[in-house]
Amino acid sequence: MELLCCEVDPVRRAVPDRNLLDDRVLQNLLTIEERYLPQCSYFKCVQKDIQPYMRRMVATWMLEVCEEQKCEEEVFPLAMNYLDRFLAGVPTPKTHLQLLGAVCMFLASKLKETIPLTAEKLCIYTDNSIKPQELLEWELVVLGKLKWNLAAVTPHDFIEHILRKLPQQREKLSLIRKHAQTFIALCATDFKFAMYPPSMIATGSVGAAICGLQQDEEVSSLTCDALTELLAKITNTDVDCLKACQEQIEAVLLNSLQQVRQEQRDGSKTEDELDQATTPTDVRDIDL
Amino acid sequence: MTERSGDARPVPHGSKACRRLFGPVDSEQLRRDCDALMAGCLQEARERWNFDFVTETPLEGNFAWEPVKGLGLPKLYLTPGSRGGPDDLGRRPSTSAALLQGSSQEDHVDLSLSCTLVPRSPERPEGSPAGPGTSGGRKRRQTSMTDFYHSKRRLIFCKRRP
Repeated sequence: MELLCCEVDPVRRAVPDRNLLDDRVLQNLLTIEERYLPQCSYFKCVQKDIQPYMRRMVATWMLEVCEEQKCEEEVFPLAMNYLDRFLAGVPTPKTHLQLLGAVCMFLASKLKETIPLTAEKLCIYTDNSIKPQELLEWELVVLGKLKWNLAAVTPHDFIEHILRKLPQQREKLSLIRKHAQTFIALCATDFKFAMYPPSMIATGSVGAAICGLQQDEEVSSLTCDALTELLAKITNTDVDCLKACQEQIEAVLLNSLQQVRQEQRDGSKTEDELDQATTPTDVRDIDL
Repeated sequence: MTERSGDARPVPHGSKACRRLFGPVDSEQLRRDCDALMAGCLQEARERWNFDFVTETPLEGNFAWEPVKGLGLPKLYLTPGSRGGPDDLGRRPSTSAALLQGSSQEDHVDLSLSCTLVPRSPERPEGSPAGPGTSGGRKRRQTSMTDFYHSKRRLIFCKRRP
């Protein structure tokens, strides 16, 4: 007799704790977030072999793996934070870059997930170009170089803090949250945003999400300008900086949408292949 | 039922995410770079803590190291590799794992090390307290996470005010 039901989600979640969403926590996050930014723009001053397009390649691959493995949303941006912080300090040949990406996902997944990615699985995703043992050895190297400071602040940490301060109808919140998360992932694939404070990326992403959705339906009672001002106040960000950041996010979205359309026009590709474009699928649902 | 012990999120057959991005990987070069970086980390830690983590011996410097016996810690925390099992992927006994693995297992069974910061003043009278917070006698305690946190905070604080 079969009594086991396999359809139950094995991940059990705690209910949201309101104590973790008060201003004290938000202020602490804002105080410590800059500690975890990469120390320099490493393409100029550290790396000789690695080019910006290679970072985009490895980031795109990492995002695909995280999506296929249904990782928690924070895993990908956190892994990118580790990657950038490592590359800001250690000159690395491009042949090591995929291994480094795998190690960063390995660490971020262990920190954030109940059932983390395994070393063996990550090696399969590199088409077995690296061995689990190499992954484990490099894990120690990366940990050492990051000084074991893994609990970095990511834009996701700010999302709930921001959302609860907006005058939003509750039923729209989950849609706004979903779009904002997609924007955050998009930002993590682009080096432009690597040195921005996570709070700014979070506020910019929420702003871009609401303004984008606003064009189709009424999701906010505020105008875009009023919204930006309110958002800036929530995270103590300069209004003009925030506006610029939001515009950059929208530009990156537009760019990646065009890329998708270009691929569609190329015609030879199947729907399947299009699904692994640089952006998560729901970005394309946004009508511009 | 095989799924129960198996992977809930297997890699889909023929997944397009399975690919190598930058051509073949040179295992030898990986190993060399890994060893070099690991040696660098060890050297950094050695200077930071005036302690040789490979041979587990204290060196001259800001910290005074002393053995602590009988802490009553569970064995799990004292004998590296005691778990064994299938997850132990046969690591090389080289410097790359030296931060985690000690030189010999026996040393770890009931010997742990504690460090205290030696005051910088050169004329330290003998037998005086090791730090401002102690009330006589030799300071003898296991360092805790918060010790590291405070020193870290202080370092950052100093850096930000040039």
